[in-house]
Amino acid sequence: MMKHGMEGCPGSRMQDFSKKSADAKEETGKRGSQLGQWPIQLHLVSPMAPYYQKSDVLLSADCVAYSVGDFHKDYLKGKSIAIACPKLDEGQDIYVEKIKSLIDDAQINTLTVMTMQVPCCAGLVAVAQKGLQSAKRKIPIKSIVVSLQGDIISEEWVQ
Amino acid sequence: MEEYLNTPIKEIITKFPKVGEILEEYNIGCVPCKVGSCLLKDIMEIHNLPENEERELLRRIAQVIYPGKKIEIPRIERKNRRKAGDLTYSPPMKKLVDEHVLIKKLVAAIPKIIKNLDPESEKGREVIRKSVDFIRFYADKYHHAKEEEILFKYFDENLDILKVIHEDHESARAHVRAILEGLDKKDKGKIAEHLMAYHELLTEHIKKEDEILYPWMDRNLSTAQVGELFSKFNEADGATDKEVIGNCKKFVEELEKKYKIKKEAVK
Repeated sequence: MMKHGMEGCPGSRMQDFSKKSADAKEETGKRGSQLGQWPIQLHLVSPMAPYYQKSDVLLSADCVAYSVGDFHKDYLKGKSIAIACPKLDEGQDIYVEKIKSLIDDAQINTLTVMTMQVPCCAGLVAVAQKGLQSAKRKIPIKSIVVSLQGDIISEEWVQ
Repeated sequence: MEEYLNTPIKEIITKFPKVGEILEEYNIGCVPCKVGSCLLKDIMEIHNLPENEERELLRRIAQVIYPGKKIEIPRIERKNRRKAGDLTYSPPMKKLVDEHVLIKKLVAAIPKIIKNLDPESEKGREVIRKSVDFIRFYADKYHHAKEEEILFKYFDENLDILKVIHEDHESARAHVRAILEGLDKKDKGKIAEHLMAYHELLTEHIKKEDEILYPWMDRNLSTAQVGELFSKFNEADGATDKEVIGNCKKFVEELEKKYKIKKEAVK
């Protein structure tokens, strides 16, 4: 049973999933990281970095990796990454420029945008679409929306 | 039931014709298929019905095969099961679906072309020649070539579903050759026969691709492969003569206007 705290913005409304976590089966063994680069924050990355060239890029909202249990295995593996928060980060015009440069200069193959289900997170898809619209090249963009408890709500090509 | 899930559908329908009727109710057109070598389990995979519909379909088939017996319906695990009414495409597949729209407009005009067929006059021959030019350039060279030379290379070409599609393409080409032979001999009957056969073949073929083949391919392509396909399709489009594409579109618009083709006819 979830406990709900104060109402208001769904992005900051308090919810407690701790019982679900306590019920989870104990896992053994270690799983290796699939991260193949540094840095990862969208303000810090350079589209000219070799690991972006012609790659499949994952643009993930900051919270996603904490929510999706198998994020590394199922979504990060085989991709280059950039992370951002469409609600709290400043300078999002720069984000649009970075996406444009990833498309035109790094000639990335695809862009997958992973966001949380909270409404403000959809802003990251809008940033990606703006970047694509201003780019000369066209590439497919996929949007994956994740629930607060880490389930995949939707997965669809948006461009 | 496991035994029949691993049996070619033609064998099942031959032994139990009622199964064919049940499949038809679910818009699964295996009865007229000339190949029929898909296994029942593969048909479930390719058509990817919503889970409750699939279980009901298998339950009804089991009742026909094992009348009066209580049969356990196996659950067929699937990575991306379709929800009811859900039909979306990746960008490269969407491109192919969009190209179908112009082909469907030409196909919809064929009955009217046949009604007004006049291979004796130069004007009458011109309509047939231009229709054949459209089919050869737009439908075959521009569209089918994208499928055969790029898309299908991502799959095992020995798959039954691809054999069926290849066979449709070859049949379409044979009808076009026959239309041209008819035109040479001013044989109105032959032209009409093969134009109508092309109309019927393409109507079913496009439906098959839009509703079954492309969604199945999308479920089996990785994100990286979707990106590659998108890029290769763009390259193929870039290498195509834009003027000829423009002429194809103009010709179909003229046909639509001339024969007052309704929008519903191309849905």
